[in-house]
Amino acid sequence: MNGAMLVARREIVTQVRTKGFVIGLLVTALLVAAVSFAPKLMGGSDSYTLGTVNSQRLPLEAAAPEAEFEWRSFPDEAAARQAVLDGDVDAVLVDGARVLTRGQLDEQLGVLLQSVNREVRLGAAGVSIPPLQVQPVDPGAQYESARTGIAVVLVLVLFMLLMSQVMMVAMGVVEEKGSRIVEILLATLRPWQLLAGKIIGLGVIGLINLVTILGVGLAAASVSGLAADFPPGLAGLVVAVLVWFVLGYAFFATLSAAFASLVSRQEEVGTVMSPLTMVIMVTYFVAFYATSDPTGTLATVVSYVPPFSSMVMPVRMAATEVPLWQVGASMAAMVLAVLAVLSFGARVYRRAVLRTGARLKLGDVLRAK
Amino acid sequence: MLEISELRKRFAGGPDAPGDKVALDGVGFTVRPGEMFGFVGANGAGKTTTMRIVMGVLQADSGSVSWQGRPLDYEARRRFGYMPEERGLYQKMRVAEQIEYFGRLHGLSAPAARKATEELMERLGVAERRNDAVQALSLGNQQRVQLAVALVHDPEVLVLDEPFSGLDPIAVDALATTLQERCRGGVPVIFSSHQLDLVERLCDSVGIVSAGRMVASGTVAELRSAEGDTLRVVVRDPAPGWSDGLPGTVTVQGDRHVLRVNGGDDQEILRRAIKAGHVEHFGVEHPTLTEIFKEAVA
Repeated sequence: MNGAMLVARREIVTQVRTKGFVIGLLVTALLVAAVSFAPKLMGGSDSYTLGTVNSQRLPLEAAAPEAEFEWRSFPDEAAARQAVLDGDVDAVLVDGARVLTRGQLDEQLGVLLQSVNREVRLGAAGVSIPPLQVQPVDPGAQYESARTGIAVVLVLVLFMLLMSQVMMVAMGVVEEKGSRIVEILLATLRPWQLLAGKIIGLGVIGLINLVTILGVGLAAASVSGLAADFPPGLAGLVVAVLVWFVLGYAFFATLSAAFASLVSRQEEVGTVMSPLTMVIMVTYFVAFYATSDPTGTLATVVSYVPPFSSMVMPVRMAATEVPLWQVGASMAAMVLAVLAVLSFGARVYRRAVLRTGARLKLGDVLRAK
Repeated sequence: MLEISELRKRFAGGPDAPGDKVALDGVGFTVRPGEMFGFVGANGAGKTTTMRIVMGVLQADSGSVSWQGRPLDYEARRRFGYMPEERGLYQKMRVAEQIEYFGRLHGLSAPAARKATEELMERLGVAERRNDAVQALSLGNQQRVQLAVALVHDPEVLVLDEPFSGLDPIAVDALATTLQERCRGGVPVIFSSHQLDLVERLCDSVGIVSAGRMVASGTVAELRSAEGDTLRVVVRDPAPGWSDGLPGTVTVQGDRHVLRVNGGDDQEILRRAIKAGHVEHFGVEHPTLTEIFKEAVA
């Protein structure tokens, strides 16, 4: 194990020292922070400028407390028309009966104006209508949009990290094979130690990225006030996401190392890896679809099927409440898949990594003694 | 003592080269502690394959490698130093860190690896490049780092595939000195080379491999005596037909006749030569390793 740890340490030190890693981490942190603040910055954008000609101002603020309204008075209709045409105001109420607009009236504003106008008139006639009470029947429903948002961000983060780390494993394997360092390494290390060290080292790099993203995201969300909308039990979700990343990464990185050990040149990495990148893409698409329908049959079924479960289950966990036994069953299946892949990948790697030259066929490698 | 015996290895043909290729067909030799063994042979003769099998990078189909009387295993091999034919270093890793890393992989503690790295960098003249990435070094300096990687853990045995290729004469001397020091310390050293004069100068014993077979092996003196010394006689303006009935071959270079002969009555030959003309040279010549090699693989 000592040998594997030395290999892992070298991978980590080498990566952490590159400019790419530091810059990448900073950019990611900034992006995540920006995303956490964005809803607050853009959310307040519902603001309207309204005018009146010979009319009372309607109490729109009471009906739409989140929007902002600015009122102007015009001396006559001609001045009001000019202001509308110039785009200075969104709409002008004339004589309490007509609304001047440029083109179509903003739909939300239209509904608001009509209903508030109706209410004011009815109120004047002595009729008062109590507003409708909205009552969600499922307890967590008020968090639904926040949950979906978290799931969408999560699946994107998992996908990007998985893809980049898995490619890094492939390139590292080919670097060692192509430059024949592997000959010296394998004179003192067992193949599994080299393989495990590389996968663990680059996995730690991936985890550093993931923890940074989650940490910055949560910190920024609590500063921006976005966290107030977050559902309870977020800590559990964070832990689960870390576990799922480790499982998904172990699965794909092992296969990646096995495929990459078939070739000797960096130019061939893309080709030999294409089946694997396809699977990762498909996993991503299924998971992304699951964000829009987290309780659907597809999402539910696929959340048990490795390796898709590594991304779909976290989506389900973020988007809805998933019973613990379901998470456990899905994780157990994934762990079994990882073990199977480890045994397969280590076998291919051991047999292929010293056979430099032309690209090897997977079948030949498996058939060789 | 490192004993290599009866190694056989056959490579399966691929689509580019159908049919099996026999790489080794019974290669064997022994190297004693403190002995420097030169491994020579034409390209593709099987030197690299033999060394890779010794280092466990390749499995032999049959035959054995033993060290100190026991079959060579993984643990013992970790105490070997190896320089493969195709140089391999992490191009972007710094010189000192790289040497240290391999020291640690071979089981040295961190302080021991650091100390050994410092000493080797001084010795091999790359100390001032310690913090440079390997890719920034000249080929000669990269080769020194490669050697340092093979030496850092103070190996019990050194297996070096073409360690001298691509080095300038000064670097060759530095490397030769380093190897001789290790050798005097009791380490068996095996290295392959095409520079036969170098092998002849450095090595206690030599193995010649041709097409996967050992065609000759032994000390340089043994190989020489097997080949036999050559008597070379140069006579200017000899009488025609002076060498009739003498053994050996005569080549004519202008007005000089050169007689080369293995064995025979040298005194009789001298008498005949003096009678025939002006003797410019009369002497016994040891065969060079190049001559022995050419003879052996012919």
